[in-house]
Amino acid sequence: MKCSEIVEQFPFHSYGEVSPEVEERIESHLAECAECRAAYAKHRSFMEALDRREDANEAALLTTCRIDLRRQLAAEGTRRAHVGWFENLRDFSRFHVPLRIPVGAMALVALGYFGARYTPEKFGGIRAGLTQPMFSNVQSIEPETSGKVNIAVDEVQRRVVTGSLGDPRIQQLLLDAVREESNPGLRVQSIGVLKNSADSEQVRRALIDAVSHDPNAGVRLKALEGLTSYAGDADVRKTLANVLLKDDNAGVRVRAIDVLTSHHDDSIVGILQDVMQKEDDGYIRTRTRDLLETMKASVGTY
Amino acid sequence: MHDAAAGTVSALLATPIEELDETALIRMAQKGDQEAFERLVREYDQSVLRLAMNLLHSPDEARDVYQEAFLKVFRNLHLFRFDCSFHTWLYRIVTNVCLDHLRRRKVRKEESTVVETPDGPVDQVSRIAQEGATGNPERQTWNRELSAGIRSALEGLTPRERTVFELRHYQGMRLRAIGDVLGTTEEAAKNCLFRATQKMRASLETFV
Repeated sequence: MKCSEIVEQFPFHSYGEVSPEVEERIESHLAECAECRAAYAKHRSFMEALDRREDANEAALLTTCRIDLRRQLAAEGTRRAHVGWFENLRDFSRFHVPLRIPVGAMALVALGYFGARYTPEKFGGIRAGLTQPMFSNVQSIEPETSGKVNIAVDEVQRRVVTGSLGDPRIQQLLLDAVREESNPGLRVQSIGVLKNSADSEQVRRALIDAVSHDPNAGVRLKALEGLTSYAGDADVRKTLANVLLKDDNAGVRVRAIDVLTSHHDDSIVGILQDVMQKEDDGYIRTRTRDLLETMKASVGTY
Repeated sequence: MHDAAAGTVSALLATPIEELDETALIRMAQKGDQEAFERLVREYDQSVLRLAMNLLHSPDEARDVYQEAFLKVFRNLHLFRFDCSFHTWLYRIVTNVCLDHLRRRKVRKEESTVVETPDGPVDQVSRIAQEGATGNPERQTWNRELSAGIRSALEGLTPRERTVFELRHYQGMRLRAIGDVLGTTEEAAKNCLFRATQKMRASLETFV
């Protein structure tokens, strides 16, 4: 081996990444060549200098990271509990059999063939398909010396799902949309559709949850509309009472009075009297007073 | 087959978790056992965080990498088929997340770790390192200067070179394993390490 070839091997030699034959050749060359010995000594001091790097003491950071991760995992668990039928489809892929890939491929071909032929027209089931164009987001570009280029692309595919409101899978998608934190418009739309199915316990729960916790007043108003026919339900009335006393939006409180009073129930007298004590909005106070007088209840407790 | 699988799971459940080996922990975590998953995290998270800190030189970004990487592991653990070691699989995820951060940073230029404080500018990474420093003050000063030199030299490498160098030199990983982690060949990892070492030596000439 020439001196230049020996020097090129120093990094790999010092990491123990050369074959025993190469190692032997390097060592016998070093024994004979003073110039390469000096170069090797310099390489060793470079390696030792690298080892004197002060590593960050990450103990405190590690504790914070662990706490954050635990919190995120808990949130993940909650999210998973709500994902519904899409997750079940994904679970199907967890089965591990030796012929998984060929069987899976054949199943996909068969599904595509029969699905395209029969599903939409003859059975009226859910129609799903990919729409073009596909949305993509280039994350990084890395040219290679060979002239090729590596491009990392995040892709999002939009799928149109069609089905009747009575279909539990469609309902689940709408319920997922109600929890779509980043898009209040979508929440209003999904509640607007779901409110017609409030006879389902799950839907009613979602509406109650939206009325109580959604940060957007428009979404809360839409959810209140859906609860109108259930004004007699104990849970709904309790929620409405809370809205009346605590919601910071006067329009939502007015709507809550409307719904609450659409069902005759003397048990709301106490709530209305509380409202008279706490309410600042003149219109709501007038409405509440009128209601209390209609119910022949005292309005003078405030 | 179903009974056999059920038997295995029952046997796993009957064993105290601290006595389970890695394979058993992975299987339990795949079944949704959060405690098993947390034990797996504890096995590796310190070295993952150290790698992220050393590659990115930013506590905030290292924290993001930690969360992002382990959440990906959590979401995709059911896809792990034991056809490589868990360490390789995990590091594949971690290095990809780190590389994404490094590449994004290349686009918006390297972020400085220096922050302004009422007492003047302070390097966040040096500050963390200094918290644990003891001994000879002169040596500490020299080590700090050398550390800054090494950090600056590392920043002169491409994201891939930096990752290969960090994994080989500071994490002691074999080139073959680095190739597996980065989805490339041992030879390509070797070439990358060679380029990185040459650049590092040129940058640190004054310290050697």
